[in-house]
Amino acid sequence: MGFLPCYWVVGSDSPASHWAYVSPERPKFPRLNDVNPIDHFITERLNKSGMRLSRLADPEKQLRRVYLDLIGRPPQPDESQSFLSSPTDLEYNSIVDRLLASPQYGEKWARRWLDLARYADSNGFQADQLRDSWAYRDWVIEAFNSGMPLDKFTVEQLAGDLLPKSTVSQKIATGFHRTPTCNVEAGVHPESNRINQVIDRVNTTGTVFLGTTFECAQCHDHKYDPISMKEYYQLFAFFNNTPLEVRNTSGVTWDFYGPKLDLPLSPLKLGKMNSLKDEMKACELEKKSIKRSLGVEQKEWENEILDELKNAPKWEVFDVGEFSATGGSSYTVKQDQSVLVHGENPDSSTYSIIIKDSNLDRISSVRLEALLDVSMKKNGPGRNFGVPENPNFVLNEFSLKVDGRKVIFSDAKASFSQKKFDVLGAIDNDVKSGWAVNPQFGKAHQAVFTLKQDLLLEKGSRLEFKLVQHHGGGRTIGRLRLSGIEGDYSKVNLPTEIQSILLMDNRNDAQVNELAGYYASMHPRLKELESRLADLKKKLDDIDPETTLIMSEMNKPRETKVMMRGDYLTLGDKVSPGTPAALHVFDDSLPKNRLGLAQWLVDPENPLTSRVFVNRWWSAFMGRGIVETQEDFGSQGEIPSHPELLDWLAIELVQKGWSMKHIHKLIVTSHTYRQSSIITKSHLKKDPANRLYARAPRVRMSAEMIRDSALATSGLLETKMFGPPVYPPQPEGIWRHVGRNAPKFLPAENENRFRRAVYVVWRRGAPYASFVNFDAPDRGACVVDRPRTNTPLQALTLLNDQAFVEMGLAFAARILQEPGLVNDEQRIQFAFRVALARSAKQVEVDYLKVLLIKRKNELIKSPKAIDALLSEAKWVPFKTSNPEGIAKWFTVANILLNLDEAITKG
Amino acid sequence: MTPGQYYLKETRREFLKYTGTGIGALGLASALNNNLYASSSADPMALLKPHFLPKAKNVIYIHLVGGPSHLELFDHKPELIKRDGQKCPDHMFKGKQLAFIRDHPTLLGTRFKYNKYGQGGLELSEHLPLMGKIADHLAVVKTVRTEQFNHAPAQLFLHTGFERFGRPGIGSWISYGLGSENRDLPSYVVLITGSVAGAGNSLWGSGFLPTLHQGVEFRSQGDPVLFLSNPKGISARNRRDIISGINFLNETALADVGDPEIATRIAQYELAYRMQASVPELMSINSETSSTLEAYGAKPGNKSFANNCLLARRLVERGVRFVQLFDQGWDHHSGLFDSIPKKANQLDRPVAALIADLRERGLLDETLIVIGAEFGRTPMLQGLSNNRAANNVGRDHHKEAYSMVFAGGGIRGGMSYGETDELGYQAVESPVHVHDINATILHQLGLNHERLTYKYQGRKFRLTDVHGEVVNGILT
Repeated sequence: MGFLPCYWVVGSDSPASHWAYVSPERPKFPRLNDVNPIDHFITERLNKSGMRLSRLADPEKQLRRVYLDLIGRPPQPDESQSFLSSPTDLEYNSIVDRLLASPQYGEKWARRWLDLARYADSNGFQADQLRDSWAYRDWVIEAFNSGMPLDKFTVEQLAGDLLPKSTVSQKIATGFHRTPTCNVEAGVHPESNRINQVIDRVNTTGTVFLGTTFECAQCHDHKYDPISMKEYYQLFAFFNNTPLEVRNTSGVTWDFYGPKLDLPLSPLKLGKMNSLKDEMKACELEKKSIKRSLGVEQKEWENEILDELKNAPKWEVFDVGEFSATGGSSYTVKQDQSVLVHGENPDSSTYSIIIKDSNLDRISSVRLEALLDVSMKKNGPGRNFGVPENPNFVLNEFSLKVDGRKVIFSDAKASFSQKKFDVLGAIDNDVKSGWAVNPQFGKAHQAVFTLKQDLLLEKGSRLEFKLVQHHGGGRTIGRLRLSGIEGDYSKVNLPTEIQSILLMDNRNDAQVNELAGYYASMHPRLKELESRLADLKKKLDDIDPETTLIMSEMNKPRETKVMMRGDYLTLGDKVSPGTPAALHVFDDSLPKNRLGLAQWLVDPENPLTSRVFVNRWWSAFMGRGIVETQEDFGSQGEIPSHPELLDWLAIELVQKGWSMKHIHKLIVTSHTYRQSSIITKSHLKKDPANRLYARAPRVRMSAEMIRDSALATSGLLETKMFGPPVYPPQPEGIWRHVGRNAPKFLPAENENRFRRAVYVVWRRGAPYASFVNFDAPDRGACVVDRPRTNTPLQALTLLNDQAFVEMGLAFAARILQEPGLVNDEQRIQFAFRVALARSAKQVEVDYLKVLLIKRKNELIKSPKAIDALLSEAKWVPFKTSNPEGIAKWFTVANILLNLDEAITKG
Repeated sequence: MTPGQYYLKETRREFLKYTGTGIGALGLASALNNNLYASSSADPMALLKPHFLPKAKNVIYIHLVGGPSHLELFDHKPELIKRDGQKCPDHMFKGKQLAFIRDHPTLLGTRFKYNKYGQGGLELSEHLPLMGKIADHLAVVKTVRTEQFNHAPAQLFLHTGFERFGRPGIGSWISYGLGSENRDLPSYVVLITGSVAGAGNSLWGSGFLPTLHQGVEFRSQGDPVLFLSNPKGISARNRRDIISGINFLNETALADVGDPEIATRIAQYELAYRMQASVPELMSINSETSSTLEAYGAKPGNKSFANNCLLARRLVERGVRFVQLFDQGWDHHSGLFDSIPKKANQLDRPVAALIADLRERGLLDETLIVIGAEFGRTPMLQGLSNNRAANNVGRDHHKEAYSMVFAGGGIRGGMSYGETDELGYQAVESPVHVHDINATILHQLGLNHERLTYKYQGRKFRLTDVHGEVVNGILT
């Protein structure tokens, strides 16, 4: 491993005096009445280039822009009324306050933070199994909504677990650094996994909080930024004390593991849990009372059954004449005439048992017992080595020849048959089917095979049983015994042991217990209670508290050494936790652990963190950062376009209690933000890339904003917040990873289908398909800024993705259901207000009216298209009283949802 | 011409005039300029000049997922056969990191014969007879070394030069470096048989490069390209009307706000409409002659590696620059001697047919074919050493040396390159690193792997990091 050095760029300053490593000072500016400081700095720079700010954008544009930026969806017609009728600053400000207080604000802003935090719902790599960490996602939403100060926000995520008396919420926050990928494919080496995760934590911390790339220093001293290799591993030491995050399950197989926190149960779940517990208690009580009276009942039963037993036919155990097993196993014939098979355990084996002299002279049924023995896992009854914890057998064929003639069986009954492995499969002459007993292990089993016709035996008759067991994996019977019976065996169909205990005159304690246990197990009400209890227990288990991944420090810290060339197998000098010397001082009073590191990051002396935060927000609102290389404030990054503005905002953030909402409000109430985005020829000539902000930017929305906006437009948006990830529809076959326990994607058929994008499941190996087409990353690593592309695949997504087709259909239904609209022109106007937050121009109305007539005529000609189109909505709660109307208006809905304007913040 | 159309033309001209980012000035040039959204209006997929005269225009890259055994297919080791069943020498086990083997293993010789093929006398397994017939087009590199011995990290390392997530794969680098030969299809297409490889879609993701350069999977089930077909009840004519409607309204907006990005979006909707016809046509192999189908062993409607090989030819014919085939099922920890003949048989015919077909069509010279994997297999047996039944034995993951096969675009055929030791464990002559393989592929396309860079997070990134040397020995 090694890293590509960055080339020296002519004109870049030397590391020591690099602007970003010098603490910001609040720039002075003449205080003008009512001038937003942002506008002051922007105007000053524009004036130098002979440009000026544009006029304010149309009120409807301003409104849509600020809705999209603050809560991630366009305003609905009833929300725009007040501002459009009186577009004053006062009214605008009150809308801003309302949006900043909306719970949807946190949902909108969480997305960017989750990209930085590389939050996902899966491990990444082979199989890419799901993990539960969504409580952390919810924590971020909640933190933004509640206006948590950013210093606190930083400390809790990096070291919430180390705060004195840390709360559940502070622990959940540490999920920030439990997001790195983890490879659990068989044969992985856990230490290399762990090192990769720590490296990820160091690098991500640098990028997110310092806008600095530490990565280069992993293998050599940083060439351009003041971080030495030793300093890299000093940072590494802060993160090197958390436990391993994989657990060895068997052999070379590993599971994702690591510290987890039980989440508090919701009141609903608590209630459910208590009522289940109550019912269990009642069942237990009844069980006890039945058992108390059981003794008397059992005595009566014993007397009755003994009577029957005396007259009933009896099973006669066959004496084993010869035994053989293919595949080389050994065997022992025990005193009870059972055959114990041991030694070699071949993949498959056929047993043959020859009986030379039977005491019976007439046989109606034969019985095969699969008995227990200590030589098998869980005592058997199978020898299975393939899955040793499941000692199963599969008896594919059971046959009997008497003196060379094949005997025909008419029926077979077993003490228990595994699902899809019924005992009848052993006598159906089909070698593929067979009898097996999973999951009833540790228990003897028996099968009785009834002959079609009673068999008359002569003296010296030779019975030859054959047991074909070729399922594979050594799934063969470990100890077996054969018996025969004359007459109807079902009259007294008791297990042999029970039968013999019953017939005893003196029983020891074990036998008494066994008999009582057997009787109890046959009691109908007890049986019912047992199964109910099992059911309740399962339900109770299912409401186990949900969990989330957290950081936790080991009692004894690990020793950290420099890794030569970044290789964890080649270690150098020992280092202790520390921060780079070129940055502000790590105060002696701070603990030398993650908590100290976090507190050092939010030290007001830190020249970087506050600048990095405000710069990213500026970029989110204005389309580009003041420092364009948001991820790199180092000497190789771009220099700021408006250095004074950056420093003013950074200091303002710290002075106003690290309030994100305060800075957001400053930005969105500035003229710079509210101005028109129309591009004039003069703009293209003087500042085509809009570095100086003489106009507002036009920026394509993120994948998530596109989904949320279309959901709001369609009226389907479900505003329920928080909880486990949701599964909106996507094409089949996207999730088809190689590897064990790979999860399945089942689209939600309830309100979860229409929840906001921030809740959609994020599987790293195959993120939600439509998001990928709109530049969403796989979240395998920290992403500061997504690219914004413009591709034909995006067109296909909005045109044809089932999710968007459903939204289009619902939008069409919404247009038709809106009361008070008397003609198509009014409906089109309504649709524009809903989708684009503006009224339609006459030319637009005219065009769509013509299209609607054309569509109507087509649907008259091919009415089948109506049902076909509506059938695309697999689970949409709209009324279909007017299917023709919906099929017609879908055209308009589909067009509006696809417009550049609908997916652009302008 | 509508007012919008007129304005569209005007705006684009103005924009290009003032930004100086005319067609052709992007891609490589924009390595110095990270400004994605500005460049996206000015056609980042425009055809770009390579660094020097290329030998090949296209790549068909076949990844045998799981890591096939080079010892059963390409690297003949009589000494290993001789010492079958003996404990392996210490240096092959002690202090080494292995994925599955934990106890000192025994050596496992192949049970397959090798034959010499073609004028070059290239040795290949008896299970690759048809590839043998075109052996004079093949160069087998026997000494490829990687640094990862678990599937997903090794797959990422092979394609992105880095064992973790976040970097672009070679297909994306090439798309970024050279732009697209065609305007109606993506420049980088992925075809898959079996489940998706362990590292998932990130293998063809674009990492930090603009997402335009990511591979697009053409699927053999459902829509060949995601979201390609119209919903039920929307005919092609309706779709045309809807797209015309979208573009009419977008033109109106363009006239109002003058953002060239809108002009691009209009063009993309037209392209999407064309793709709705061109992609199904491309994916339907019904139009192929029966002799072609037979040669590949392809069948219309099948989901098979053979079909994908035929599709790969159809893709490069239409100017798709990088076609990547993933074929699952080469991870033979057990059942090695049962599985290799089956899988080799699936591989042999289509690959041989593909090379012959490209040659007949005059495309072989300009198409580089690469057959590779994330790693090879150990010369040591994995499994119980006392049970050496064919259906039982296997080989573990092996990073020290394995084989990759090259053909076409500027490759010297009928040769093998490099030698492993007598047991096939590591290179003893001409070692080749995965970075060298990637440098060589870029080289054949006229790209200098040291100059193809992208600046991100204050660093210029390369596919080959600070490594990589072109393997000149296999080049014409």
